[in-house]
Amino acid sequence: MKLLAKTNQIYLAFSLVIYLFAGLAFYQVVRIMIYREVESRLRVERLDFEAYIRLHKVWSDSTYFVENKIDVDPVGAHTPQTESFTDTLIRNRYDNELMPFRQFTFYVPIQGITHRVSIRKSLIQSYQLMEVITATMAACLGLLLLGTFWFQGKLSGRLWHPFYETLSRIKRFNLANATPLQLDKPEINEFRELNEVLRKMGDKMQQDYRSLKEFTENASHEIQTPLALINAKVEQLIQSEKLTETQGRWIEAIYQASRRMARLNQGLLLLAKIENHQFTDNQTIDLTALLTEKLEDMDEVLQHKKIAVDIRNSEPFVVPLPAALAESLVTNLVNNAIKHNHPEGRVELLSHADKLWFSNTGSSLTTDPERLFERFKKEGGSPDSVGLGLAIIKEICDNYGLQVHYQETNSWHRFCISPKPETA
Amino acid sequence: MKVLVVEDEKGLAESISDYMNKEGYICETAATFREADERIYLYDYDCVIVDLTLPDGNGFQLIETLKKLLATTGVIIISARNALEDKIRGLEIGSDDYLTKPFHLSELNARVKSLIRRRNFGGHTEIRFREIRVNPSSRKVYVNGQLTVISRKEYDLLLYFLSNIDVVLTKVSIAEHLWGDNIDSADSLDMVYSHIKNLRRKLLEKGGSDYVRSVYGIGYKFGEP
Repeated sequence: MKLLAKTNQIYLAFSLVIYLFAGLAFYQVVRIMIYREVESRLRVERLDFEAYIRLHKVWSDSTYFVENKIDVDPVGAHTPQTESFTDTLIRNRYDNELMPFRQFTFYVPIQGITHRVSIRKSLIQSYQLMEVITATMAACLGLLLLGTFWFQGKLSGRLWHPFYETLSRIKRFNLANATPLQLDKPEINEFRELNEVLRKMGDKMQQDYRSLKEFTENASHEIQTPLALINAKVEQLIQSEKLTETQGRWIEAIYQASRRMARLNQGLLLLAKIENHQFTDNQTIDLTALLTEKLEDMDEVLQHKKIAVDIRNSEPFVVPLPAALAESLVTNLVNNAIKHNHPEGRVELLSHADKLWFSNTGSSLTTDPERLFERFKKEGGSPDSVGLGLAIIKEICDNYGLQVHYQETNSWHRFCISPKPETA
Repeated sequence: MKVLVVEDEKGLAESISDYMNKEGYICETAATFREADERIYLYDYDCVIVDLTLPDGNGFQLIETLKKLLATTGVIIISARNALEDKIRGLEIGSDDYLTKPFHLSELNARVKSLIRRRNFGGHTEIRFREIRVNPSSRKVYVNGQLTVISRKEYDLLLYFLSNIDVVLTKVSIAEHLWGDNIDSADSLDMVYSHIKNLRRKLLEKGGSDYVRSVYGIGYKFGEP
């Protein structure tokens, strides 16, 4: 939910409650005032009535009040004599309508007999008054509500404008780009401070990103030289005639480890370079042809492991890729298919203009297929593998508008490469 | 034969020059751009091994100068950067080969030998080791004067051995020499073994001696029995 919608919602709910409460209170106050007025007049009339009784000793119905205004009834002596005000409805004599009245009941002895006297006043005018007042008030409050609602919307829209502006700029901000985060200087202090902080953070992030990028690359390069040194010294060492068999094996282990480290380092460096988009010379490359060629190159290994290659209706699958990466992609695919194959297994290549399948036989996966493309995910525990091949394949695909899927059916491992669907 | 090694990592330069000296070359080293620059002005070398990243300059510049001074000098680049652009640029300005660090000394040696052979005799020279005779231009092998038919890989293997006589070659370096860097090592080591076995058999069949010796499981040595 948007911030402005949320504040508006809260504001609306709150003012509705307040207005409703105010309306009710106002209605009550007006009502109480009217009743008080009517009742005080009824009390005055009671005094008038008693003065009349004192003077005339008798009550004549016709003399004093007109229609419905008074009832005088004799009651038994034992009736409880409590004065009370009540609301009542009385039918109009002429048009048979029910009219609201306020009634005052009290007890007066007339000629020694207790009489219950009820005098009444019509409330019809007061009710009308109340209705008019209530309607006017409701209209005013409604208008006020709408007005403030509108004003509030306009105002917060304008007040929060710099915030939304900042938000959209941050969204467009690209860490890998050279352009720094550009933000306005709004007049509101808090927003200005916010922008200031964000700008500093953006600059810091870009700087860190750059130095991390440089670090990865430099570190990898720097590691190659000591590795070359280890290799060279080991090679010199094994020329020595005085080595024992055990020493030979130790040296062999050192040598293998340094080779592995070199491979690992090269893999990581390649990944870093792909991530940093350091390969830009896209060419149109037919992956099918390249894979076929690679399989021919690896013929000797395939024969050695007795793996049969099956290339079926391979139409050219053409993609834009830098040549070096295409080579790396294909090498890793083929190496993977050979490494995880079993003797006398098969490799299959099938391609259409918009899709390429590369499959190999092999034992079932033990790791989660979802995580197969992660770095250092090794399958089969082969000590020579550094576990970067599939990560490199995925990274290349992700960065050059391709997608790669893996699926396993009946001990066939199938990799499917296709162009990423255009996303609007 | 004079070889200059331009490499700022002292230990590595030392290893290379030791190896080269053992092979019978006169090997000199330079650790900085300035030093290397001075040397190539003062002396003529048959082959120069250049590291691209030097503390006070760029190896490319050195190669350009070198090529202007004496175009027949062979140049091998050794670099930590495995970048295609570097390789292409190196070839464009006249270098003959490119090795990515870390490399095998035996591989470097084989490349230097092949380079010198190409430069000095236009490839028209035979390589001889006792009863074995190899003609690099026709890729033919003779044992005791008899033509011996061997496969392409076996030929490469034999030439690699002949370039590194009496030197222990690791199995990995042989595998990478034959199939390149991207070969999967577990399979390739088996393949190295079978190629060596076949090569040995073919040489023995023509009456040659057995010169290949296995060394502690690390690798193989080709030399006097």
